[in-house]
Amino acid sequence: MVDFNHEKIKNIKDKKEEFKMEERKSLIKIKPKRYKDGEIVKVSFMVMHPMDTGMGKDKKTKKLIPAKYINSVKFVYNGKEITNMTVWESLSVNPVFTTYMKINGKGKLTVTYTDNTGEVHEKSKKIKPKG
Amino acid sequence: MQRRDFFKKLGTVAAITAVIPAMSFAADAKPTGPNKMDFNTALNAITGGKTAVKSSKVKLKVPEIAENGAVVPVTVTVDSPMTDADYVKAIHILNGKNSNARCIDVNLTPANGKAMFSTRIKLGGTQEVTAVVELSNGEFLIASQSVKVTIGGCG
Repeated sequence: MVDFNHEKIKNIKDKKEEFKMEERKSLIKIKPKRYKDGEIVKVSFMVMHPMDTGMGKDKKTKKLIPAKYINSVKFVYNGKEITNMTVWESLSVNPVFTTYMKINGKGKLTVTYTDNTGEVHEKSKKIKPKG
Repeated sequence: MQRRDFFKKLGTVAAITAVIPAMSFAADAKPTGPNKMDFNTALNAITGGKTAVKSSKVKLKVPEIAENGAVVPVTVTVDSPMTDADYVKAIHILNGKNSNARCIDVNLTPANGKAMFSTRIKLGGTQEVTAVVELSNGEFLIASQSVKVTIGGCG
């Protein structure tokens, strides 16, 4: 019984850590923090991503690092697509995408990116205008 | 052939024909693998042969001297009312000498409110950074600035 409990606790801890890593993979920032309905705010989306071009070499093994870069980003607000981007490999490591957005009622902002290897990541933030 | 066998076969054929076009449409035209593109071919691909006009409406903000080429902040702002009748359709950021001249293509809508975009790019050496802006009436505007890079950031 005791071992079982330990395993359970360990599993929960692992899951929590995984969740934290998922959270840290990307971030949506809105400036200013307090905004009203109809205001135009700055939205920035930050990603932890290697953005390998496929031309760089590993210093130890001297082999080419395969290409892995973001190739599209989408900003969706309440089911309506605001901005969509086609990205090429010459963006920096851990890129930042910043645009403006018009607040139009309560809702949810969802940002998704896809990778050239087929990886898809989604991040969303609630939008609550005050006043 | 019996009647029920015939209907079974008909069903499988119908299912395959329904799946095949869906698969072909699923393959999107997004870049994969290392690309090589010249600056002029990239510019032609964006404008479609039209001439881009130099204008003071487009403001490109890049540091004149970048110590590290791996991280160069770029900001593009365009003077535009961003209404349904007159808005900025797309902002493209290009570089001069990297193996792939295209950095990013951003499609904006009137819901953005302001025409502005900023990111961080990689530069292999001293070169020009160019912003091409497409307006909703089909015009193309261009702005460019040279950046001096002390340590290259590619590879």
